[in-house]
This record gives sequence, C-alpha cells and structure tokens, in this order.
Amino acid sequence: MSRPESRVRSRTDLVVGGLFLVLGVYLTVSATALPADSGGLPGAGFFPRIIGLVTVLLSSALLLKALRGSSASAFVLSHGRVIGGVVGLTFVYLLLWGTGFFTLRTFVFLVLFLRFLVQSWRASLTVAAVLTAAIAAAFQYGLRVSLE
Amino acid sequence: MTADLLAGLTAVLQWEVLLFLAVGVVLGAVFGSLPGLTATMGVAVLTPLTFWVSAEQGLAMLLGIYCGAIPAGGIPAILINVPGTPASIATSWDGYALSQKGQAGLALGINALLSAVGQLTSIFFLAVAAFPIASFALRFGPAEYFGLALFGISLMAGVSGERVIKGMLAGMLGLGIATVGLDPMTAYPRYTFGQSEFLDGISFVPVMIGLFGLAEVLIQISDRWGKLDQAPSKLGRIWPAWMEWKRMLPSTFTGAGIGTFVGAVPAAGGDIGSVIAWEQARRLSRNKEAFGKGSLEGLAASCSSCNGAIGGAMTTMLTLGIPGDAVSAVLIGALLIHGIQPGPLLFRDHRAFVFSIVFLMAFASVVMMVVGLLGAKPLARALRIPSPWLWAGIVMFGAIGSYALNNAVVDVWAMFVAGVVGFLLRKADVPLGPLVLGLILGPMMESNLRRALILSRGDWLGTLTSSSIVVFFMVATILSLLLPLLKKRRAG
Repeated sequence: MSRPESRVRSRTDLVVGGLFLVLGVYLTVSATALPADSGGLPGAGFFPRIIGLVTVLLSSALLLKALRGSSASAFVLSHGRVIGGVVGLTFVYLLLWGTGFFTLRTFVFLVLFLRFLVQSWRASLTVAAVLTAAIAAAFQYGLRVSLE
Repeated sequence: MTADLLAGLTAVLQWEVLLFLAVGVVLGAVFGSLPGLTATMGVAVLTPLTFWVSAEQGLAMLLGIYCGAIPAGGIPAILINVPGTPASIATSWDGYALSQKGQAGLALGINALLSAVGQLTSIFFLAVAAFPIASFALRFGPAEYFGLALFGISLMAGVSGERVIKGMLAGMLGLGIATVGLDPMTAYPRYTFGQSEFLDGISFVPVMIGLFGLAEVLIQISDRWGKLDQAPSKLGRIWPAWMEWKRMLPSTFTGAGIGTFVGAVPAAGGDIGSVIAWEQARRLSRNKEAFGKGSLEGLAASCSSCNGAIGGAMTTMLTLGIPGDAVSAVLIGALLIHGIQPGPLLFRDHRAFVFSIVFLMAFASVVMMVVGLLGAKPLARALRIPSPWLWAGIVMFGAIGSYALNNAVVDVWAMFVAGVVGFLLRKADVPLGPLVLGLILGPMMESNLRRALILSRGDWLGTLTSSSIVVFFMVATILSLLLPLLKKRRAG
C-alpha cells in the first residue's frame, strides 16, 4: 500500500470513529436526563446509557486503530457531483411534499433526476411520464392514497 | 396438524393469491436480473403495496419476489460478471467463465434448475424443522428471549468479516435508533425532541427502504454507472446433459445443505453461504483446478447454496422472530403490518398460516424455475434497460411507498435520512447488516431484560443463570464475540 493511500484509509476511519464517538457521548450524556431506574429496576435511561458507553468504547478502539495507521478502508466517491445533485433534488422534492400538484411535481422531479443522470431530453420526458402515470395509477387511483 | 396443513394449502390455492405470487415472482426476476436492484430492495420498496390486501396475498407477492430475485441474481452474474444480488457473487466465478466459453445458456439453465433444488431443499427443512424449533422456543421466558437477542446481536461481530469494530458500531447505531419513542416498560418518551410523530418510534419499513433502496441507488451511481459489460447475444443450449447432472449432484446437495445452515444463522445470508459452499465443494472435488474457470460443480454449489439460504433464513425468522438475512428482516416488517408477530406463538396460534408460507415458497420456487428456463432470453435482454430509468423508479416508489404506509411525511424523511446515512456508511466500509439486527433485536432485548429483572426482583446474576437455555446463550454470545478476534489474531 502506498503512503498517501494509507493516509486516506486512516482518515476515513478517523472520521467514522469520530462521528460514532460523538454519537456515543451524546447517548451517554442525554441518557442521564432519563430516569435511570424505576423502583430499583432499570428505567428508561438504562439501555440508552449502555448503548452510549459501548459506542464510546468501540469508537475509541476504531480511532486508536486509525491513529496507528492499521485501518483498512477508504472512502472513495466517484460521480460525487451527480450524487450530490440527486440527493439535493430528492431533498427539495420532499420539502415540497404536501404543497399540491403532486403529478406535476413528480413529473418535473423525475425529468430533472433523469437529466442529472445524463439521459436525453426525449428519454427523460418519456420515462418521467410513464413513471408518474404508474405511480398515480398505483397509489392515487389504485390504493386511494392521498398524495396531495 | 393435517387440518392446518389443508387449511394452509386451501388459503394458497385461491386465484388471487396465486396471481399475486406469479406477479411477485416476475417482479423478483426483474429485480434480481437487473444489476443495482436487489431482492431486499424489491421486498422493501413493494412492502407498502401489500398493506391494502390480505396477509396471504401480500406475503404471496413478497415471497414471490424473494424466491424470484435470488435465482435471477445469477443471470447478470453469468452474463456480464456482475451479481444481480449479493447472494449470487459466487455464481459469477464459474458462471461468467462458462459464458465466456460460449456456454451462457447452459449456465443459465443450471442456475434456474439448481436454484429451485436449493430452495426446495431448504423449504423442506423449514417444513420439517420449524415446528419442533418453535415448540422448543415456546418454553422461552423473558430471560431466554433476552439471551437469544443478545446472542443474535453478538453475531454482528461474526458477520462483519474484517470490519468487526465497524460492524459492532453499526449495530449500536441500530440499537440506538430502536430506543427512539416511548420506553416499552414505563412509556417515558425518549429522543422524541417533543415531536408527537416520534412517540411510536422510527418506522422500520421506511428505514429499510432507505437503507436498501435509496442507499443502493446512490452506491450504484457512485460505483457502477457506465461500467457494465454487454450481455452475449447468443446463449446456446440450456438443458444440462445426463453426465453433467451426475457430476453436479454431490455439490448441489452440499451447497443446498450449507446454504440452509448458514441462512439460518442470524444476519448471515446467501452471500456468505454461497462463498462457503463453493469453497467446500472445491475442497471435496476431484477437479479442484477447474473451479473459478467454468466448473459445473462450482456453479452448482453456488446456485444451490445461495438459494438454500432462503429456507434457512425463513426458519429462524418465523420460529424465533430473528432475521436470517436482510430480506427476512424486511419481511418481519411486512408481517407486522398485517398484525402477525413472527416467533414461536405464530406456530401455536396461526399454524395454517405457517403452512401457507411453506406452500407459497414452494410454489414460488417452481414458478421461478419455469420463468428462469423459459425467460432466460427476455431476462438477458432486460439487462439493456438503462440503469438511470430504474433508479428513478426506485427512488419514487420508495418515497411514495414510505408515505403510503401511515400517510405520514415523517416516514418519507426517515427513508431519506436512512438512505443518505446508509450510503455514507457503506462508502466508509461500515456493514449495514448489524444495523438492521440492532434495529430489530433492540426492543426485544431491552424489554425482555427488564421483564426478567422484574421477575427476579433485580437479581442480575439470577436472571443471567436462571436456566440452562440462558446460560447456553450467554456462553454462545461470549464465544461469538471472541472467535472473530481470536481468528484475526491467529491470522495476523
């Protein structure tokens, strides 16, 4: 393994370990606000505290391993801009949920989604129309789910 | 027993149920044969649709997808060296080599036939072993269930391969998510942030749709977009010759047996089973050097084992309520939607329904065998559908399906967040299987531990040694946590 690659790998585990450490500390600390016991028996905060403590221990072990440079995973992201676009587009579509015009919103979302994935205008419009019709037929008219 | 068996069969032999089964198998074949669409994704995304039909009809479609997608996953593995589902990874080793030698049709035929053999063998195991296992599990009290859940969670380490710490961290994340909502014993709100939508906890099915639907689409865009080979246009003969049958017979049943056993281990699905079975078949073969270069025995072992895992996984899921693999984890959610709780009580209170599941799986296997044999060419052609079209459909059906379950926007957001987090975790090499285990087993472990402590009046030692079954699970838990570490140390 070359040195830069090894550094990328260690950094990935450092980030993962760091994030889980934050989660573990949060669970442990926030569990103190929950009743630790009820009538001498474990209460609502008992289990989250255990999970938090175990998470802190495991993430510390992962961090230690990453600092020693003995971790073996790398975060390799190809097509990052496309993925960011797809996630962003889906986020906006979900933000607009419940604002009406379901069919139109869905059609526009699908066209943009497919264009983001470098499909031609013709293919994007056709596939979006077919999918929108299929979803409306299945959920709105078939299962009578209110999507507006 | 006979009356329940007949009632189970009668419930399945309704034209609506059989229609749902056939539709499920065809959908499963499509999901399995298209790289990027998996059996778990198919079952997760389509589970919400079953909300509006009877339990038998819904289960018919979902089991059809399960039993259809796993064999169909072998089609792209054979034709373009890309496993359609993770379970068919070992199928590509010999299947693709056969395809390169101009025997793609024969490989597809073997895949269809021996997948059915693997499935039917494991379904027979389910039919024979499930009732005794369930009746044994009826003796379980809260302490035993706690022990079982703890053992199931400890397997997170074993199924995480080289990534033991990361697997356990993913499991902790699953356990953490499972604590959201009202405390199961005292109804005290936990991590609800004052939002009433979180009082019932995070819905399981939308999270699964996110983890195995949206996350998978993002992984596909990142890793496979524009990298797929073209399938060969000519397939050749499909049916194996008599001598070829004879040669494949031992590895077929070795594979089916190993697949069933591995499938029954919580969270260890067909992907692990098929690799172990392929390696075992290679060891036992007189023609070891042919493995990986187009060996019929290797292909037979991988096809029968990845499908054998289905019956094994269903046995564990139905009898103990613990998922054998990711698909059976989603199926737990589907059963709960219909008010059916998997576990030993299912075998006492709904025996006919259990038989219906066995018959549905057996019928689905046979239907898929026919679809696999007759539909090899059309399914090979389906590989030409551009992936972005499928991804768009998955994202949309996933979002609308999540919403349709409870008409709740919070479920759509749960799906979205689970999808993005699942994608980032997978890219960081954190396995998702333990997360699902934690999510399912967390509530079972917590509520049973606390119930057991109430019964023993807070006596921890007494609870953890209250019966030989609990002690067995405690020892098994310690061993399953220590063995991967010892193995790693020995290898290092």
